[in-house]
Amino acid sequence: MYWVASGFIFRRTSSPIHDLDPRVKLLISIELFSLALAASRMEEVALVFGSILTLALIGRIMRRLGKTVLFALGFAVMIFLINIFVGYPLVSAVEVAARFVTIVGSTSVFFLTTSPDELEHVMKWFRFPRDLVFAFVTAVRFVPVLLMDALQIMDAQKSRGLELDKGNPLKRIKNFGPILVPLVVNAVVRSGELAEAMESRGYGAVKKPTTLYGLTTTIKDRAVVLGSLLLSIPVLFFFIVS
Amino acid sequence: MGFRNANTVIEVRNYSFKYASSDKETLHDVNLKFHEREITILVGPTGCGKSTLLKSLIGLIPHMYAGSWSGSVIIDGVSIQDRKINDLALTVGYVFQNPENQIFMFSVERDAAFGLENLGIERAQIRERVDWAMSLMGITDLATKPPHELSDGQKQRAALAGILAMKPRVLILDEPTSLLDPHTALELIQLIRNLRDQLGITVIMVEHRLDLIARVADRLLVMENGTIVEDGKPREVFGKNSPSLRNIGIPTITRLYQALNSSRPTGNVPLTVDEVVDLIRQKQRTVSA
Repeated sequence: MYWVASGFIFRRTSSPIHDLDPRVKLLISIELFSLALAASRMEEVALVFGSILTLALIGRIMRRLGKTVLFALGFAVMIFLINIFVGYPLVSAVEVAARFVTIVGSTSVFFLTTSPDELEHVMKWFRFPRDLVFAFVTAVRFVPVLLMDALQIMDAQKSRGLELDKGNPLKRIKNFGPILVPLVVNAVVRSGELAEAMESRGYGAVKKPTTLYGLTTTIKDRAVVLGSLLLSIPVLFFFIVS
Repeated sequence: MGFRNANTVIEVRNYSFKYASSDKETLHDVNLKFHEREITILVGPTGCGKSTLLKSLIGLIPHMYAGSWSGSVIIDGVSIQDRKINDLALTVGYVFQNPENQIFMFSVERDAAFGLENLGIERAQIRERVDWAMSLMGITDLATKPPHELSDGQKQRAALAGILAMKPRVLILDEPTSLLDPHTALELIQLIRNLRDQLGITVIMVEHRLDLIARVADRLLVMENGTIVEDGKPREVFGKNSPSLRNIGIPTITRLYQALNSSRPTGNVPLTVDEVVDLIRQKQRTVSA
């Protein structure tokens, strides 16, 4: 069952998009997000979605973006059905659902090309409180560890006769009790040790800790910022006016 | 080596500790001195107070555990009860049993820098120390690897690099080989000995693989019910035939030597296969002469 966990784990790759300063990637993502929000007609939504696909192609994240879009499609179908149910026309319901998928895609471009390390730097750059940044870092760092814990517990409980896939939906939810309890206990014990390790490595010793790496922008980053703004602002204006 | 005359780095004086959740003291009137460049192994049955003692040496106890204590643990002339834990980070480094729980960052080098960043050390110096620590641990090629892509042995080395980058004078390790296979465990133990030899670090560790560790240890402490019951060089302690040694896993070769020798020798007993082979050859020569 390792493949279940592997989808959640960030993998370092190199591409023209990955190599950009994370703040630039965030800006591009915000631009796409705003465009997707402002797009009201189907061809506008298609234009934004096409831009996202182009970026995904350059960033070599097509497959992973595809998974995210597939995941979003489930919700999009629900949005579509609700729109139909409350009496919106078919075209309008399709547009709203497509816009939702595009919005999810726009944020995915940032998260699929930005390492947790870079996310941490961006949070620090925005002057988020240090404890909050560290809580975020630890949460992301331990996602693979907790997933592995969960898979091990599932295997252990299955070997003792637990049947996760049997029964009605309510019974199936109940079946996860023997998985969740040891998982939470493990996480609590782990957090205690983490706290001790943090203290013993000087966490909180000074008010302004230093960093091994900082954020630096290159000419390429600045060119991308300028280019993306020059492209997106007029288009956004056009979307709003139209 | 005559460590008794070397400088004392940590002194435990009449120290007792009782957890708030317990009825009896986990540590009872412990008196110890740890000396510069000494490798000390702490052994004893589960629940005898080994981890409590180790955590007391870095101030995690009593600062992070509810309980009552008496006596003191003194580092550099100051009782650690009067100091913050993070003040001690540059003096005492603590490697936990599970390295997974002390690697915080997304890459080995970022994690090695974690402690130095917390202390506000300048970037250039962090870079220098991180490179030095990773090279010392032989993990320079893993610098950008995320923790979930490392083996247990590599994680243990990464955790050690994070501690060594802070250049502590004392290194405390809680069962560092418990997750490692025998070959990797032996490598780690040799690495710890090299650290002592090259950097002059004082090492205090809980370790049950006495077959591997006894040969490199300068001192063996045996604990029972919260007190130190044996304290001496490993071969001297093993040679005592004391009842407290029954459950600590005396090296097989030492037990074999004692079992084969009808006079049940005490004192300097052999710790390694090579030492036993030497003894047998010596005996053969004596008989043939």
